[in-house]
Amino acid sequence: MGAATRRIDPPPFYGELFARERTRLPGHGRAALDRVREEAFTRFLGLGLPTQKAEAWKYSPITRLANREMALAEPTVPGLEEVSAWFGGGPATRRLIFVDGHLQPEFSHVGGLPAGVRVMGLARAIETIPEAVAEALAGCDPERAFSQLNAALTRSGAWIELADGVALEEPLQLLFLHRGGDSAVMTHPRIVIRLGRGARLHLLETHAGSGSGHCFVNLVGQAVLGDGAELLCDRLQLGGSGLSLLARGFLEMGAGARLRATTVALGSGFLRNEIELRLAGREGEAILSGLYMPRGEEHVDTLVRIHHEAENCHSDQFYKGVVEDRARAAFAGKIIVHRGAQKTNAYQANNNLLLSDRAEVNSKPELEIYADDVKCSHGATCGDLDPEALFYLRARGLAREVASSLLVYAFANEVIERMADARLQALTRRAMLERVPGGAALEAEGLL
Amino acid sequence: MKNMLRIEELRVTVEGKEILKGVTLEVGAGEVHAVMGPNGSGKSTLAYVLAGREGYEVTGGRVLFLGQDLLAMEPEERAAAGLFLAMQYPVEIPGVSNMYFLRQAMNAVRKARGEPEIAAGAFMKMLREKARLVGIRDELLKRDVNTGFSGGEKKRNEILQLAMLEPKLAVLDETDSGLDIDALKAVAEAVNSLRGPDRAFLVITHYQRLLEHIEPDHVHVMVDGRIRRSGGKELALELERHGYEQFAAAAA
Ligand SMILES: Nc1ncnc2c1ncn2[C@@H]1O[C@H](COP(=O)(O)OP(=O)(O)O)[C@@H](O)[C@H]1O
Ligand SMILES: [Mg+2]
Repeated sequence: MGAATRRIDPPPFYGELFARERTRLPGHGRAALDRVREEAFTRFLGLGLPTQKAEAWKYSPITRLANREMALAEPTVPGLEEVSAWFGGGPATRRLIFVDGHLQPEFSHVGGLPAGVRVMGLARAIETIPEAVAEALAGCDPERAFSQLNAALTRSGAWIELADGVALEEPLQLLFLHRGGDSAVMTHPRIVIRLGRGARLHLLETHAGSGSGHCFVNLVGQAVLGDGAELLCDRLQLGGSGLSLLARGFLEMGAGARLRATTVALGSGFLRNEIELRLAGREGEAILSGLYMPRGEEHVDTLVRIHHEAENCHSDQFYKGVVEDRARAAFAGKIIVHRGAQKTNAYQANNNLLLSDRAEVNSKPELEIYADDVKCSHGATCGDLDPEALFYLRARGLAREVASSLLVYAFANEVIERMADARLQALTRRAMLERVPGGAALEAEGLL
Repeated sequence: MKNMLRIEELRVTVEGKEILKGVTLEVGAGEVHAVMGPNGSGKSTLAYVLAGREGYEVTGGRVLFLGQDLLAMEPEERAAAGLFLAMQYPVEIPGVSNMYFLRQAMNAVRKARGEPEIAAGAFMKMLREKARLVGIRDELLKRDVNTGFSGGEKKRNEILQLAMLEPKLAVLDETDSGLDIDALKAVAEAVNSLRGPDRAFLVITHYQRLLEHIEPDHVHVMVDGRIRRSGGKELALELERHGYEQFAAAAA
C-alpha cells in the first residue's frame, strides 16, 4: 500500500491557527523555542494526519476527529466541587489543575515540596528553563504527527523533576478537566518528567470531561527514569461524548528502574492511550495494567510498545476490557526484544468481556524477538460472562442483572485494585460501577 | 402432610440425548428424601433442572413447587420461592467476597418474600453462628466465593449458604462426596439442625454413608433416568449390600 493512502494533508485551518496563535504561545520571542515550534509544525504538515490504513491507527478513527475545524480552547473557571470531585491522594497531595488545557493557579498547589523536587506548570518552566524545555519538545517522537503538533502548539502542562535519590512520598496529581464549549476546541498539554538516579515519584493523572461539545485533547507525556528510579502512575480517564482524548506517553528507563502504571480508561467519545517505553538499562521492570470500558457509541483503544534493549529486564502488560452496546475497543501490544537483550521476561495478557452482540473488540498481540535466551508470552481472550458463575449467583437469588454486574465488577476490579493510591482507587471503582447496569445498586448495598 | 414438590413424568434431554426418562417423585413438607443411584444415572441432571440451569431441554412432564409451575420460573425466582441447591461442584467466583455474596443473596431472597433487609449487625451475628455450626473459619468468609477453597471447604460453604438462606426445600447434590468423616458429621449435623415441619430435603448421594447421619424418610433408586424403586431407609442398606447391579440389569 502506498504511503499516500496512510496519511492525508492536515486541513488548512491548522496553518491558519498556527500563524494566528504562535505569537500568543508562552515563550514566544525566545529564539530556541520559536525555532523548535516552527520546525515541529513543519514536520507535522509533512507527516500529515494518519488514516486507518496506517498500521498503528488501523482501529482508530482519529483523523475523522482531527479533521474538523477547531480553535484553541479559551480559559474558563469551574466551581471547586467540579474539580475536587476528582481529587486523589491525601491531605498533603500537591496538584496541578488544568481546565481545558489552561493551568488554574487558584486551585493548583505545588508549594512546600522537599529540596530536590521541582514541579511547575509548563509556562513557568519555559520562563525559568527555556533551553531545557526547547530540548525536551524537540527530542520527542520526531516521526509522530500528533507529537509534533503538540510541540508546536503546547502552552500548558507540567514539568516534574526529581534530583538523584529524592523521593516524593505523597502522590502528585495532574488533574485535567475538559469542559469543552459550544464550538470545537483543542488543547495540547505536555508533561515532562525527569527522575534522577534512585528518585521516586507517585503520579496521579486524571482526565474528566462532562461536556458534549467537541474537545480534542492531544496530550504528550515524556519521562526519563534514571538508574534505580521508580515511577508509580495511576491514571483515570472518563469523559462525555464530546471528549476525544489522545494520550501518548514515551518513557526511557535506566538500569534497575521500575515503572508501575495503571490506566483506567472508563470511556468517552474517543479515547486512545499510547505507551511506548524503552528498557534501556539492565534489570529494568515495567508493569503496565489497563482497563477500558466503553459503552454506547464510545471508542477506546490502546497501543503499547515495549522495547527490551538491555539484559535481564522484565515487562508485564495486563489489560482488560469490558465492551457494551455498540462500543468499540482495540488493544495492540507489541514487545520488541532487541539483539543482546538476553534473559528478557516479557508477558502480555489481554482479556475482554463483550457484553453485547454489537460491541466490538480487536486485540492484536505482537512479538518481535532478536535475542535467543528470552521468555515471552502473550494471550488474548474475548468472551461472555462465565455462565456457570452467573447461574450460581442466580440460583442463590440474585437477579440476572445484579449477578452480571457483580461479575463485571469482579472482572474489572482486578485492574483497579492495582492502582497504588487508595483514594483514586475508590473513586475509580465508584465511577466504574456507575457505568455497569445495576452497579449503583451494588454500591448502595455495601460492595465498596 | 403438606405437598411441597411434585415431579410428574419429567423427561429431559441434554444435547440431543435423553437423560431423564420420566421421573415421578413427590416430597412433602418436613420430609427427607434420598435419591441414590450409580454414576451417570441422571441425579445431577434432576437437581440442575429443578434449580433452573441452562442447557436442559424439558421434553415432557411437569414440576410443581408449592403449587407453582417451577419450570416456568427463572433461577432467582426459584430461590426466592424457597428452593436451594447445594451443588456437587460449587463454582469459584474470583473477585466477589464470600461475605458480600451471602448478604446479597440473603437480602435478595428476603426482598422477594416481602421481608425487610437484614441489618449489618444481625447479619454478622447470624453468619458467625452458622459458620461455627458448619465449621467454616472466619478467614474463608472474607475470601472470594469458593476461590482457593479445598473440596471440603466448598461443600461446607454450600451448607453455610443453606443455613443462612433458610429455604423451604433443599436439594443436596452429593454434598458428601470428597468429605472426610469430621466434615461429613459437621454437614449432617447442620442439616439435621435445619430439619423441621416446614422444610424438606432431597438428598442425592452415591453412598449410604451420609444417610447414617441424615436419616431419610424415603429412599429412591434412580437408574438410567428413571426412579426404579422407592422405599424406606432400609432400602439404602440393601443397596449398600447388593449394589446397583440388579437395577442395571433391569435397565439394560
Ligand atoms: N452438559 C452435559 N452435556 C452432555 N452430557 C451430559 C451433560 N450433563 C450430563 N450429561 C450426561 O447425562 C448423564 C447423567 O449425568 P448426571 O446427571 O451428572 O448423572 P449423576 O449425577 O447421576 O452421576 C451422563 O451420561 C452424563 O454424561
Ligand atoms: Mg452427579
